[in-house]
Amino acid sequence: MTQVLIQGLMLSGLYALIAVGFTLIFSVGRVLNLAYGAYLMLGAYVYYYLVQSLHMPKIAGMVLAIAVGALAGWLKYKLLVKRLNGDAVAIEISTLILAVVLQSGVVLIFNDSSKILLPIVNGITRFDGVTITHNLLTASIMSWLILGGLLYFIRYTHMGRAIQAVSMDTKGAQISGVDTEQVNQLTWMISGALGAIAGVFFASYTQLSPSMWVTPLIIAVAVVIVGGIGSIVGSLIVAHIIGFMEISVSTFIGAELRGVFTMLLIIGVLVIMPKGLFGREEL
Amino acid sequence: MSVVLELNKVVKRFGGITAVNELSFNVNKGESLALLGPNGAGKTTIFSLIMGEHRQTSGSIKLRGEEISKLGTHKRINNGISRTYQVPRPFNELNVLENIRVGMMPDSIMDMIWKKSDEKLEKKLADNVGFSSKEYYRTPSELSMGDLRKLELARTLATNPEIMLLDEVFAGLTVGEIEHMSQLLHEKRKEGMTFVIVSHDLRSLEPLVDRAVAMTFGHQIAEGSFIDVMADEEVRASYLGE
Amino acid sequence: MEKIFTTRSILLWILFAVVMCAIPFLAGKGFLRICIQAFFLAIYAMSWDVLSGRTGYVSFGHPFLVGIGTYATAILSYRFDMPLIASIPLGILATMIGGTILFLPALRIKETYFALVTLAFMELIYQLTQVVRPDLTGGTRGISGIESITTGAINNYYLSFGLMFIIAFSLWALMRTRLGNALSAIGMNEEAVKGCGINTTKLKLFAFLVSALVAGIGGAFSVHYFGSLAPRNLFDINFLFTIIVAALIGGSSTIIGPMIGALFLTFLLEYLRPWVPGTERFFIYGIVALLLYMYRPSGIYAIFWEVVDKFKGKNASSIKDSTSIQGVK
Repeated sequence: MTQVLIQGLMLSGLYALIAVGFTLIFSVGRVLNLAYGAYLMLGAYVYYYLVQSLHMPKIAGMVLAIAVGALAGWLKYKLLVKRLNGDAVAIEISTLILAVVLQSGVVLIFNDSSKILLPIVNGITRFDGVTITHNLLTASIMSWLILGGLLYFIRYTHMGRAIQAVSMDTKGAQISGVDTEQVNQLTWMISGALGAIAGVFFASYTQLSPSMWVTPLIIAVAVVIVGGIGSIVGSLIVAHIIGFMEISVSTFIGAELRGVFTMLLIIGVLVIMPKGLFGREEL
Repeated sequence: MSVVLELNKVVKRFGGITAVNELSFNVNKGESLALLGPNGAGKTTIFSLIMGEHRQTSGSIKLRGEEISKLGTHKRINNGISRTYQVPRPFNELNVLENIRVGMMPDSIMDMIWKKSDEKLEKKLADNVGFSSKEYYRTPSELSMGDLRKLELARTLATNPEIMLLDEVFAGLTVGEIEHMSQLLHEKRKEGMTFVIVSHDLRSLEPLVDRAVAMTFGHQIAEGSFIDVMADEEVRASYLGE
Repeated sequence: MEKIFTTRSILLWILFAVVMCAIPFLAGKGFLRICIQAFFLAIYAMSWDVLSGRTGYVSFGHPFLVGIGTYATAILSYRFDMPLIASIPLGILATMIGGTILFLPALRIKETYFALVTLAFMELIYQLTQVVRPDLTGGTRGISGIESITTGAINNYYLSFGLMFIIAFSLWALMRTRLGNALSAIGMNEEAVKGCGINTTKLKLFAFLVSALVAGIGGAFSVHYFGSLAPRNLFDINFLFTIIVAALIGGSSTIIGPMIGALFLTFLLEYLRPWVPGTERFFIYGIVALLLYMYRPSGIYAIFWEVVDKFKGKNASSIKDSTSIQGVK
């Protein structure tokens, strides 16, 4: 029981980190960025290349991975999303194509075998018979710090408030003098950066492979759908529901079924309560 | 005079906001009723309740004496009510005739496949609202606001309604277009069509209506002849800001 | 019924059939096998197009539909020794029934979310095939040694071409009726279609059933041609991607476009093989598809007609009637 509690808590932290960048874009741009998972892949591969192939210090690898993520987010906004002008279906299709392009780009450079990403933080602690890897512990602590910081940024800084304003009413924000273009660029960059951090931790928790973007994307989608319209707190709660559900399923039923329940949750919630557990104004 | 459309104590709440509050009125056959009120009074909400696009929280809506509150939008349309929208909603990649064709379509897949479209009638409807034959094959991006309203009207007429709900028919039209639109509505009235009309253009509205219902904040504040309603103090206070 | 069959269109269809039937006399077996692959891809792409190209309800779950047909007929014939004449129709039926039961609730929700639910279905079924009754599904390894309908490249060429041709022609004719107009209109503004007194749910369901029927036919016949199936190849984003890209670059909501797109993609891949042998090909596919989708969303088919019209010196806008209009943009 302790095991489920501790592992569930840590995994949920990781999932919250994965989902938050996706939620952010969804609430500001109202678009589903299906290439979101590719940020995680990019971040993880950049980190892997710099730290494990070039033997750079871990912190430098992390910083550069984040920078690449932010750049990718910015480019995606500039080259793709802006041109499609808010057409949700077109963005969905083109970001899916983009994700496949990036996946094959990774295959082209790193070939398609899976790779092990060494733990970012070494060491384990035993607590009440439960093994806790410091790596996952760091990941969940990091995710709490990042989420806290993000909430602070959005609620209490000028730029954060502008983001909030755009997410509520783009036209209204524009009329009140918010530079929506700047807000959009920044949000896409933050989203990319968050994705990259999440990717490094996610890869060290699982492994590195060109198709590693699918699972986190589905987790992010599940969180957004189940949580209702891009509220960060709603996402946090749902990330915990999914995290604990997966750990419970793999502990009590069978590890191979853990993904099945996440999928059933998405389908079930969308079909039965199209507004999500925490409400969404319109679907 | 027989009542065709009857609203009885209709209430609609969106979350905590009451958009329509215990509103009741009747529309008689062949009659033209103006629905007056300031912005946000709930006029458009009433239209969407009558059409079944939203469901009322309580109260009843009857068509020819039969409760229609449980019917879906398409069933209500097939029973003879249609509406236009404040913002016209054309099918952007279909031309004028094709837009009208969708309006004329039967609600049966087999009929759609096996029965031929009636191009003569499509053209007649297009002519009726004032399209010239060279405009038949234009797409909405090539049309003016006035043309889009005409197209919307033609597509609504194509569903062969008995009662039409018109939402801001004159908005965005030039003087000439308003005249043409009024002319057309006059003709339709002569043919026996029943109307409920929302418009801020009172001068154009007045000659078109027999009766008026005024409302504010979802309440009904006056009912009677257009002139009486417009003379009502409460109406003047809320509507004209006097 | 609308006037669908103009003399010109019928002649073009006959010409198409004659040319394609002549290919086995001119080309080698290797070439025919590539054609067969292209024909099956074309069937999937047309299936996707009927639903998603028109109505804007983008299905990310088409591999799931193809998969039901594939698995059903493979299990029936391989595990239960059912003759193909029974297992294939049952596989197709299973696709329609299974797809409808699962997708029906999803058709009530808005376009964007529809795509996500179908994507979730695909992943769900992928994980389930591995754990539920692996004695039937073959688990992760799938099934191989499945009975084939006919042998030899030439026979299979005619079989798959026949299937594709019949499907393409029927769908093309169906979409030239008012039904096609109505489905396109849903993609443009679903609320306004409801406002014309049309039950859009019924229409979407019909489009879905047709789509599932075609996907089921493709899936059921292809598995008896390839002789094996594996869940990772079937319920795969790359497979989904190939279907969608074929439809989009060919020209969605035209039926003929997706067919052209599938042929184009398959042959592009084959001729790129000396330079890009593996998964990298998706890199090139993807970039081509993305650029085309961003800058010429109406696809190759429309570009072809524009060129033809320019050649004839006609006004380019007149093609709108003959090619119909793309629904997904």
